[in-house]
Amino acid sequence: MSTSLQDWIDLFVKVLDKLPLTLFMMVVSLFFALILGLIIAIIRIQKQPVLYGIATFYLSFTRCTPLLVQLFLVYFGLPQLLLAFNIDINSWDRLIFVIITFSLHTAAYLSEVIRSAYLAVGQEQMEAAYSVGMSYPQALKRIILPQAFVIALPNLGNNIIELLKDTSLAFTIGIIDIMGQVRIILGNNYGIGMFEIYVVISLVYWGICILIESIIGYAEKVFKKGHVGLSK
Amino acid sequence: MLISDYIIRVDREGDRLIELKNIKKSFKKNPVLKGVDLKVNKGEVLVIVGPSGSGKTTLLRCVNYLERPDEGTISVDGFSVEGKNASKKDILNLRRKTAMVFQHYNLFKNKTVLENVMEGLLVAKKMKAPEARNISMDLLQKVGLGEKINDYPTQLSGGQQQRVGIARALALNPSAILFDEPTSALDPEMVGEVLSIMKKIAGEGMTMVIVTHEIDFARDAADHVVFMADGVIVEQGPPKDVLSHPKHERTKQFLKRLVREPEYEI
Repeated sequence: MSTSLQDWIDLFVKVLDKLPLTLFMMVVSLFFALILGLIIAIIRIQKQPVLYGIATFYLSFTRCTPLLVQLFLVYFGLPQLLLAFNIDINSWDRLIFVIITFSLHTAAYLSEVIRSAYLAVGQEQMEAAYSVGMSYPQALKRIILPQAFVIALPNLGNNIIELLKDTSLAFTIGIIDIMGQVRIILGNNYGIGMFEIYVVISLVYWGICILIESIIGYAEKVFKKGHVGLSK
Repeated sequence: MLISDYIIRVDREGDRLIELKNIKKSFKKNPVLKGVDLKVNKGEVLVIVGPSGSGKTTLLRCVNYLERPDEGTISVDGFSVEGKNASKKDILNLRRKTAMVFQHYNLFKNKTVLENVMEGLLVAKKMKAPEARNISMDLLQKVGLGEKINDYPTQLSGGQQQRVGIARALALNPSAILFDEPTSALDPEMVGEVLSIMKKIAGEGMTMVIVTHEIDFARDAADHVVFMADGVIVEQGPPKDVLSHPKHERTKQFLKRLVREPEYEI
């Protein structure tokens, strides 16, 4: 345990070297998850018969199976399934499988965040928008979604943080993100220095989470004009 | 009947603004409206009274299709919509004929007072911002809120919020304004400020359909009173007939209960 300051710094530098990949996985998955989540939320709010059933089924599956299982299902299972239909995706980059998995997984949770925020805004605001002659899309864009967004922010923040931590599973299919980098360092050291390296990576995850939290907190302040929120 | 009364009535026949025909509506097999006809003439102040659950609010909400009737026809200012099979475009056009003032104000919480009034002008009327701003400022002055234009709804009292609601409705320059129990959620001391503005608007010739429990206001400001109970119109006519000399037993019961109320003393 006689590690010098220089060794700690070296460890940090090595781990941070892979941080862009971790952030890339997070941001790209978040982008697709938001789009898919919004679509699923609208389907479940409007309760269109067939689509509602599919969305609810997907939601149930995603929330009731471990993310690691889903990742393996997409990475190992999906190519085999598609090969049966003569579609070969074995040559795809591993990153694509990771992003597919994380997007699908996070979209399920985000759809419920969006749906609950939409419902929290209330039918009264929609009726007021209708009464001044707005159409449904106009009311959504100008009245409902701006209010729902503010209500959703704290939960959205939680889910972004959750997604960030989930990316640490990507190493299991050979992605060299910060977690993958840690495994490589450990492998080169024959397992020596485990304490230091896991302290370092904990601090890196922690630091990014604090950053995300403060961005969300700041956004809440900026958008909270008119004291819109759950506490009226 | 005096001849002058007769002439007024004939004149009004030609000036029909709102006409509901045979409106039926059930909520989960519970019939709320059992085939109601309603006619409102241009410039008329029509007040709907009746006990809770009589269907008066539902009837009002059918006029701008916030409630979809199971059956019947809605006509507003020459535009007719079949109750059941209205298209989205029909509904939008119907709604743009009228404006509504809500029991719980329903101001847009993410918009300032001024933006609340401007919103309909910008979106539905496609007006340019400076013009919409001028109109909105004038109306907010008129309802006595010229100082509050940059406040958000939550910063206002109930009475002030409802006055913004009225300004928002007036801004649209609708052919009629629908009032859904506009004073029911207000503190007693704020009821007066809202009613006096409504009286002012009525004096300017605006067509108004008002659901309310304020019988004194109805007696004072209404041209025509409709008494509803159990999903049908029981009695209608000028306020001095319906409210002072009701013919039907159901109306008498209802009014007796309302008049007796102030007798409670502590």
